[in-house]
Amino acid sequence: MSDPASASPRSAPPSAWLRSRWAGWFIAGVGVVALLLVPSTYDALYGFQAGFQLHRISLIGIYIIAALAQNVLTGYAAQPSLGNAAFFGVGAYLLAWTNTDLHQPYWLGIVIAMVVCALLGLIVGGPALRISGTYLAIATLGLVLVTQSLLDLWDKTNGRQSYDLTQLPLSLGDDHTLYVFIVVIVVAVLFFVRNILQSRVGRAWVAIRDNEAAAEAFGINLTTYKLLAFVISALLTGLAGALYATWATTASSSSSSADQTIAFLAMIVVGGLGSIVGSVIGAIFVGFLPLLLQQLPAIVSAGPIRIQVTTLQSGIFGLLLLLALIFFPEGLRGIVDRAGLLMRRLLNRHIATGASEGVER
Amino acid sequence: MVAFLQVALAGVVTGSIYGLLALGIVLIYRTTGVLNFAYGAIGAVCTGFMAILMMGPRLPFGLALLGALIFSALLGMGLERSFARPVLRAPVFTKAIATLALALILETVAQQIWPQLSQAVHFSSPFATASVRVGGVYIALIDVVILLVTAGVMVALQLFLTRTKLGIAMRATADNQDAARLMGAPVGNISLLTWGLSAVIAALAGILLASRTGLMNLSFLDPVLILAFIGAVLGGLESLPGALIGGIVIGLLDNLLALILAGHSLGPLDISDPGIRQALIFGGFVLVLLFRPQGLLGQATLRRV
Repeated sequence: MSDPASASPRSAPPSAWLRSRWAGWFIAGVGVVALLLVPSTYDALYGFQAGFQLHRISLIGIYIIAALAQNVLTGYAAQPSLGNAAFFGVGAYLLAWTNTDLHQPYWLGIVIAMVVCALLGLIVGGPALRISGTYLAIATLGLVLVTQSLLDLWDKTNGRQSYDLTQLPLSLGDDHTLYVFIVVIVVAVLFFVRNILQSRVGRAWVAIRDNEAAAEAFGINLTTYKLLAFVISALLTGLAGALYATWATTASSSSSSADQTIAFLAMIVVGGLGSIVGSVIGAIFVGFLPLLLQQLPAIVSAGPIRIQVTTLQSGIFGLLLLLALIFFPEGLRGIVDRAGLLMRRLLNRHIATGASEGVER
Repeated sequence: MVAFLQVALAGVVTGSIYGLLALGIVLIYRTTGVLNFAYGAIGAVCTGFMAILMMGPRLPFGLALLGALIFSALLGMGLERSFARPVLRAPVFTKAIATLALALILETVAQQIWPQLSQAVHFSSPFATASVRVGGVYIALIDVVILLVTAGVMVALQLFLTRTKLGIAMRATADNQDAARLMGAPVGNISLLTWGLSAVIAALAGILLASRTGLMNLSFLDPVLILAFIGAVLGGLESLPGALIGGIVIGLLDNLLALILAGHSLGPLDISDPGIRQALIFGGFVLVLLFRPQGLLGQATLRRV
């Protein structure tokens, strides 16, 4: 009876370990190792095509950052802003500018993109304190359109067809390195977002989301915390935009389009509002599924019917999106929650039977 | 002065098309709480149907128009039953993103049926070339038609919503669905009617725009739709006349600014660029919202604690 391991299960179920701090770190560690093993797996799978395939999936990482940023703003701080693609485009252009025209080091360009976007987030957040709901969503959508035309104008004024990043560090031109680089940043951002959500700031956002009046009554400064959400979201989206420019080796005003900004919202809606796991799933769904659909055979023929699948891709994506929304109106993270619950139950039963056998012996 | 009037008129005409679309957006938003991003696709599909009727079976304009309007009503009601019902109880964002999915599906299906519409096709109308002269101002016949149709739709909607039993039931549903149901309003049919009506309005807006430019394809309403959304919000999402006025203001400002800024530049910067115009309009729009967060004609919501 002096054995501490046999004493503790009486109060806590065996699966409590899954909820413990160490389990979280363990699972995160396994995940990171798995992600870092992907390049060598791809080498084995695709051979000389591995670089190309890695480059494609690297894009998911960029979308994960953007989705996290949107979720901080919309899912946690409850600001239905559709303006994030503006920061995405500005981030991309700032990196291109510092890199190609100013010949500054790459890291400095990233920092400038993040800082400037954070400041812009503060400027956008100001009016957003007074405008709410659908009005805010459409107003910020307008911001994205304006940003796109202004970026276009900048291109036109300088007479350039495309804004290529010519001074990128050579190592980032390698698809394997770029993949690892993006994975490292995504993990860092996930860690940062998780920590901020578990801090006083995150709790304040949730309180504001759940009941603004009550939060105010408890002494939460609405102005500060809403602005903070805008700033952090813009900063992260600026980072994602800069990474996107790195990934594409060019900055284009289409990164700041209505489609792009609605795609960010679609990611967190399909994944799950107010959930980190949901942001990741949503980014994969919206960012990667269209790429996956491109892999479908171009033409499917069944007897006399020949279907041109290439023209159906966006429709198939729309249908899958619609089905996901109808069956999981709270987001696909519901699947993960259920899987976790199932695993916990299985674990409990397994250990419970194991323990009872032990008693009989 | 004549140039000014000419440009102002053009602004009101393009603004009327934004306003028409804004009307439909507000109608659906108020009654069913759906922010409809598929609205442009609905209008484009109906316009495409009419273009096909005129190109394929070579129907005259009037018959094709009738066919397209009937088609649009059926499409709207069909979408309500097949699409809007399943997501009715979902959160508002989920509904908005679902309409995005709907737009993708609609465009793909239309493209499969009418592959020729993925490129711009000629859209012929009997009003294309004629124009009338009032004072020194030339008015294209199609512009007169656009103004008349817009005014007609607005008046008809207003009369319907204030004078008929069904219209009043519709407003009651928009205000409070549960209360309206308790009062015996046929809430399900009203939702059906709303989608049908707004699809007809989308079709009208699409057909008018296509008649004016003489061209259409399956995504020709997408850029217009965003401006219609901005017009709807400017007018106040709760108010139908507000939506129309908002749309007209946006169109008018765009054309007037184009006139004022034309040919000017600020150093190397060409300020007659549409981007600058958009930025100015947007700045004004945000200013209006700062002073009236509920739009020009919207009602302020009380925050009860």
